[in-house]
Amino acid sequence: MEPQVAMSDPVGDEDVVAACQRGDREAFRRLFELHKDRVYTVALYFFGGDEALAADVTQQVFLKLFTRIAQFRSEAEFATWLHRLTVNACVDERRKQRRLTQLDDADDALPFLPVSASHERRYARGEVAARVQAAVAELKPKLRVVVLLKYFEGLSYEEMARALGCSKGTVASRLNRGHKALAHRLAHLRAALLQGD
Amino acid sequence: MFRRHVITELAAYCQDELAPPAARRVAEHLLACARCRAEYEQIKLGVALARTLPMQQAPDTIWPQLEAALTAAASPDAPAAVAPKHAHAELRPRRRFALFATWPRAAAVTFAALACAAFLGGWLYLRPPAPAWDVARVTGTPRIGAERIGERGRLAVGEWLETDAHSRAQLSVARIGQVEVEPETRVRLVTTRATEHRLELARGTLHARIYAPPRLFFVDTPSAVAADLGCAYTLEVDDAGRSLLHVTSGWVALERAPRESYVPAGAACATAPGTGPGTPYFEDASDNFLNALDAFDFKQGGDDALNTVLAEARVRDTLTLWHLLPRVDAARRARVYERLAQLTPPPAGVTRAGVLQLDDDMLARWKDDLQDKWLHESFPAARKVWRRLWQ
Repeated sequence: MEPQVAMSDPVGDEDVVAACQRGDREAFRRLFELHKDRVYTVALYFFGGDEALAADVTQQVFLKLFTRIAQFRSEAEFATWLHRLTVNACVDERRKQRRLTQLDDADDALPFLPVSASHERRYARGEVAARVQAAVAELKPKLRVVVLLKYFEGLSYEEMARALGCSKGTVASRLNRGHKALAHRLAHLRAALLQGD
Repeated sequence: MFRRHVITELAAYCQDELAPPAARRVAEHLLACARCRAEYEQIKLGVALARTLPMQQAPDTIWPQLEAALTAAASPDAPAAVAPKHAHAELRPRRRFALFATWPRAAAVTFAALACAAFLGGWLYLRPPAPAWDVARVTGTPRIGAERIGERGRLAVGEWLETDAHSRAQLSVARIGQVEVEPETRVRLVTTRATEHRLELARGTLHARIYAPPRLFFVDTPSAVAADLGCAYTLEVDDAGRSLLHVTSGWVALERAPRESYVPAGAACATAPGTGPGTPYFEDASDNFLNALDAFDFKQGGDDALNTVLAEARVRDTLTLWHLLPRVDAARRARVYERLAQLTPPPAGVTRAGVLQLDDDMLARWKDDLQDKWLHESFPAARKVWRRLWQ
């Protein structure tokens, strides 16, 4: 396995982080703007399209990030830190939701929760994307997380391994399994996908 | 060839994550291993599916609440201003996205909207560049758009690379191969993604060498699409939009509905606007054969041309005769069949009636049988490999 390092930090992260550590409120805002969509998107797909929950998790991630940023020392690891916060927030919120709704703990797969994403909106984004979103939400959380980190954070395998606290081989294996699971569940969309190309 | 299976590397391969030597090793293994190729097709579909998910925009309502929480956290009177470790739990608003009733909050929302607009501009400026391929100058001064490139450049999706009479360039096709661009050539990068890399050749000449599974690399020309099936080839397009393909290794498919020509190593195929791909032929055929085929394909040569093609055909030229079967009318098809069967009798289960009715399965079976003849005696190793790979 020889993965290449993918660029994950937007330009200027280091300077913005340093300004945040000095308490610069505008820098907070800038950092938020740089990363909010990716954090929100990961949370949105993690929770199967629940926009309110995704917004809540996004808020939690940045609040935690801003209140702890003064303690943060290694600018080079900022992206890893942010991704770890995002993953942890999703997993924590999922646990909380499961307690609240008394879901069956033995089942690893989170049910699709189309709370506020109406059928109309999801189909407006494209039927294929809507079905993929549903299939992603049905992946086991550990597979779901690597797929989302790959596509919306653009992380290399090494960065994902650091963020998730596992080996690169584990990341590769989970991505293989995640993609195969998507292909298996949505094999009937192959033709539609090719037509879309 | 079967050093070890590459299943664990397939997602990385599909996502262009492997370094060139590893990507080449995986590509070569995929050509030879049906098991890994089946896995690859699955994962490639999974990647294509995952890529349909769009990035979503976070709601504007998050920042005002976050800012209010930060302000509260900074206040010495705030109960939430405790150890940061637990700050978010204390400060998290009870209600999600509550409307702001008071004027300071309304002002904050207005400020937030203006700031969002400013940062949207910033994002547009800072966003990651479009996918692009590396371009290396070989000679002269190739241009990307109106800009001359130095020793190296980047060709982004949608951009044209152009060479004049004295310049040449080399393109890196993601990590799956190279394309050399000859003088007086105009080529555009149409798309580049894990499941498809596509160029448009408007005029001129390119040489492609691709190390990838079939149907990953395509070149659009004015009169056909060249689909790579794991190969090296030269493609020329003239100012009238006619093109000529020479294949030096592997196979290339030339496509323009309803025609499709499979061109193996050592063979060539011409195309013309309005006609699409002509009939493929081996370049070592007789001059009479080649002239007659050109007349039949593109100059309405009719029966005279067809008679010459049939009379001059060798065993190896069954490549041409097999392609002619669906392209001629019933009367001519019977004559083509007779000559083809004379040169190489059809395999068991392939009947005259079935071929004349263009039975897809029978045509495919006869083609499989004929491929040994097409992969010439001078390429015995290639013939063995192709038999192992695709049959």
